[in-house]
Amino acid sequence: MTIKTSPDTRGGDQSPASGRRRKQERRPRKGLPAWFVPYALLLPGLVIIAGLLLYPLFQMIVMSTQKVGLREIRRGTTPESVGLGNYEAILDNDLFWSALRNTVIFALFAVTLTLVAGTLVGLLIQRLGKKMSKLVIIGCMAAWAVPPVAVGVIWRWLADADAGIINWFLNLLPDGLSQALFGRSDWTAVPWLNDTLSIYTILTIAVVWQSFPFIAVSVLAGLKSIPSELYEAAKVDGSTGFRTFRKITFPLLKPVFAVLLVLSVIWDFKVFNQLFILAGGTTNRDAFNLSMYAYSEAFRSPPKMGSGAAIAVLLTLILLVVTFVYVRQIIKQEDIR
Amino acid sequence: MRISKITVTSVTTAALALGLAACGSGSTGAGESAAPSAAGSESAAPSGPKFAGKTITVWRLGDPNEPANKYMADLTAKFKTDTGADVKVEWIPWTAINDKWTTAAAGGEGPDVTEIGNTQVLEWQSQDALLPITDIIKATPDFAEIPQNLWGYETVDGEIYASPWGGGTRAVLYRKDWFKELKLEEPKNWDEMVAAAKKITESKGKDVDGFAFVGGTDANYSLSPFVWSAGGDFAVKEGDKWVGKLTDPAFKEGFTFYTDLVGKHAVSAKSRLNLATDGIRARFSNGKVGMYITAPWDIATIKEESKGKMKDSQMGFFTIPGKDGQPAPAFQGGNDIAVWKDSKEPEVAKAFVALAAGKEFGTRYAVEGGLLPYYAEGLKKVAEDPATSAFANAFSHARGFPNDANWNEASETKAVVQNAARAVIEGKKNVDTALADANKELEEILNQ
Repeated sequence: MTIKTSPDTRGGDQSPASGRRRKQERRPRKGLPAWFVPYALLLPGLVIIAGLLLYPLFQMIVMSTQKVGLREIRRGTTPESVGLGNYEAILDNDLFWSALRNTVIFALFAVTLTLVAGTLVGLLIQRLGKKMSKLVIIGCMAAWAVPPVAVGVIWRWLADADAGIINWFLNLLPDGLSQALFGRSDWTAVPWLNDTLSIYTILTIAVVWQSFPFIAVSVLAGLKSIPSELYEAAKVDGSTGFRTFRKITFPLLKPVFAVLLVLSVIWDFKVFNQLFILAGGTTNRDAFNLSMYAYSEAFRSPPKMGSGAAIAVLLTLILLVVTFVYVRQIIKQEDIR
Repeated sequence: MRISKITVTSVTTAALALGLAACGSGSTGAGESAAPSAAGSESAAPSGPKFAGKTITVWRLGDPNEPANKYMADLTAKFKTDTGADVKVEWIPWTAINDKWTTAAAGGEGPDVTEIGNTQVLEWQSQDALLPITDIIKATPDFAEIPQNLWGYETVDGEIYASPWGGGTRAVLYRKDWFKELKLEEPKNWDEMVAAAKKITESKGKDVDGFAFVGGTDANYSLSPFVWSAGGDFAVKEGDKWVGKLTDPAFKEGFTFYTDLVGKHAVSAKSRLNLATDGIRARFSNGKVGMYITAPWDIATIKEESKGKMKDSQMGFFTIPGKDGQPAPAFQGGNDIAVWKDSKEPEVAKAFVALAAGKEFGTRYAVEGGLLPYYAEGLKKVAEDPATSAFANAFSHARGFPNDANWNEASETKAVVQNAARAVIEGKKNVDTALADANKELEEILNQ
């Protein structure tokens, strides 16, 4: 928007000759060519990004090829380089593969469920009246505003074996129904937070519960930008709700969904706090995802920052590939349109 | 107008901040200027208020309880009159201490003096985190009374890195009143213990653990007595390499007995596989545990934590039973006191160690904390007291873990054996595969 308007105003600027002269006088004194100005203005931002993001990223990559422990940090000596040794050790370790499997499968489920739930709630809010929609939005936002650690604690309590509301509720179900659905009727003291599968079930619910509101609100914002004539036309033609969504809403919101998908993938690949709380620390190694694995290598005693960095680099690479493939696809589609 | 207003406020804020900073540095500055004149001349032997105005931070491990707080108050008061220095005491739970040290060593706020488990000394010495205190140990006559063979964990390459403070071993803490109510005797072997645990779980409800299984970071302190009792061990050093012994039939027997507590006998609930001893202690305080393996320091904490609901008369200790009637060898632990290498006041810190672990306060530390003193007179007193005889009994055949700087990584950080136990209990692996996998990893970690 801003880029577009600036040439317009400049072109339309029929200022008196004196003003133009002043401009001409100022330019040579400054010595800055016009093309340079935007870059000069970008420079501070770039410096900050380079200092705060790119340099640590670079450091992490360097670290991943070194053996960095407490000794090296404390003495400030240059750590010994191990080449790709850290990567070899990690790729050899079964733990990496189970963590990778956990990360990917979890992201797959969590992202899908978040997007579906978020979109449905977004559509719902659009149909609701003013008061009701406000109420739902506030309710959703409350979940979104809860800090991740608190989410972990809340769901840990809900899923507690003895005092948890989940087991209490499942026990309330008629025995026959419970038997038919889950194959058991007695839910007293059923542990939810031991086994990898059940930990991740609770984790998925917790993460979806917290992250769908953002999707819902973003989708809602997108929905508001679609001209209502399209829907009226669809109605006149007798289109069903699902058909309308498929033929009008979804294609028009595609860019929104694309961004949301990429963001959700990034977020769900990096989930750490909730899992750390639900799994009760780093003792249960079967339940590691890549973030937990990197943390336990890098920061639990004795710290092996090199291996931790190597896992982080691998996680970053995976994310970059996923994001890159998807973004490229979007750009291609945009071009065709 | 607006800009000038902002300028005025920010200048005022800055001035205030500076003023505060000046106040802060002023008070410490006065202390520092007074001290060097006295402290500069000699290094050891605390006498007179030569450290006046200085402050050191001491990390105590565990949860503070009344006797421990009183002991620390007396100790710091004595230190203040002797040397003039103030002491700030901070309590760190045992399960959190490795992370705290790691953060401190990597450049965070660390202590000047820290309590440390005797098996942890080697690891932290190898991380370059402890200051040698050989000079003060040699210069203080009290320390000559601690038997030479008890300095093994603390001495590395001829330098002493910590002083023994109190010896600890573990026994089974049980609910005396429940035992009386259910007409149970103190178990003398494994079968009797399982039977007692079953009876407790049956009569007290499903959420009560008859004998609580420890699966958290400190699980090996509870597992090891059963393994040792069956004749097994974790690893043995052959030449300069550690050889894992987890696949030995004897280890397997003890391990199986331990996992069966949850799996086969169900006297400890599956949902609490991850609990460390402090979590179990909290459940014991709430009347949800019949028996668990711990050290005597838990008694005072339980009384406080339960707000008086759990009384002395309800709790008792018995020696961990072996397979068939003999007492099981318990882990021979001990708490040491060491000087943190990053201490800015190493001389004050050393003087504090000399006082705390010296004869008077060293004996008091052990006796009042429910540990075994290293000084002969104190030890005699403990052995005569019936309340602590369960420990004196176990101390005579206590054993240790592989003495290697990497043991802690295998035992607590990577939780190798705990994960094997979980896999077995949840039926993911059979005992042989789980132990074979664990053995391989244990060897990798110990020999890295």
